[in-house]
Amino acid sequence: MNSYPEVVERIANDYLERVKSQLRLVPIREQNEFLAEIESHLYEAYQERPEEDDVARILAVLRNLGEPAEVVYDRLPRKMARSGTARNLPLYVVGGILIALFGIPLGFGGFGLLVGILAALAGMVVAFYATAGSIVLVGALFTLLGLTRTLLPQWFDRLVMLDFVHISAPTAEFLDHFSRSEQNLLIILFGLVWLAVGLGLLWLGRYLFRGLRFLFGLLFDRMRRLAQGFRAKLRQENRDVSHVNQVSLVKSDK
Amino acid sequence: MEYSDEGRDRRITQLRKGILELAVMGVLYHERHYGYSLVGVLCERGSISLKEGTIYPILARLDRDGLVGSEWVESNQGPPRKYYALTASGRQLFDELSREFDLLVSLVRRKPAAPEQPYQIGKKLVVRKR
Repeated sequence: MNSYPEVVERIANDYLERVKSQLRLVPIREQNEFLAEIESHLYEAYQERPEEDDVARILAVLRNLGEPAEVVYDRLPRKMARSGTARNLPLYVVGGILIALFGIPLGFGGFGLLVGILAALAGMVVAFYATAGSIVLVGALFTLLGLTRTLLPQWFDRLVMLDFVHISAPTAEFLDHFSRSEQNLLIILFGLVWLAVGLGLLWLGRYLFRGLRFLFGLLFDRMRRLAQGFRAKLRQENRDVSHVNQVSLVKSDK
Repeated sequence: MEYSDEGRDRRITQLRKGILELAVMGVLYHERHYGYSLVGVLCERGSISLKEGTIYPILARLDRDGLVGSEWVESNQGPPRKYYALTASGRQLFDELSREFDLLVSLVRRKPAAPEQPYQIGKKLVVRKR
């Protein structure tokens, strides 16, 4: 500050801080310019006050200048400046009731629906991969058993004896129609078919992933565009309010 | 029935508030001023009692609409001062507003605005919203 007594400087700085806090949504350059203008005003007014007491002088200056909110009015974004003014109250009351009756339940309903859809999609993915994984496992086990029965028949018989391999009666009756080597071939073929189906499902899964990724990408893109549009609107509004003329600092000879 | 002092004061304040922007433009039409000196001129010449801070929203509005230009000037007595002056479009608008104001004054005082255009009963007073 400019050659004020310390206590006056503190009071003036406090006022300027309050003005600054009111201007927090205004661009920095405009903030600084306006604060400099008010600082100049305080200094001029202080010099001309007739009071002898320093504190009384600066307080009288601030009283005449008014509250920071009044001083910065019309420098704030329009929505902020309007926030304290009178509004059409009945309309707002009706709007509030409508939002409470429909908006909030619909909002919660929409949120619940969104969560439900996401959970269903996640469940579908898990179920798909669990099924594909099970089929691959079954196919691999049958192929392995078929190969064991062909190449190491004593190991297979031992597994049957230990009850690790259990063949149901209808299956055994069906297999009895074939020779042992044909049975082995059938088991291996059965296992390979299941293995192929399982691997095929896993391969198809990547399309499922791509589809879901596309779906979520679309959803998030829409949300991002919405947010960007909202931000652009806010920025435009700030620009409207913070239009400042080109300022030049001129040295005067006066 | 007599009017109350409070009601009278409120109406005077409203009237002055309404023409304050025009008064500011009128002062800046002839000479450039910084905020504090502008308040001084309005209070001294116009006998207007106002909160000094109310001048800044008006200046901000005029500035935003391109009706005033500003310039910082160093002062050897203290911090630099921001001087304001009407721009060409500000002057043009002030001329138009002055004519409207004269018409209003003439209506209030029941005098014709100009000798060649006497006030006619039934003529509509149009107040344009800007």
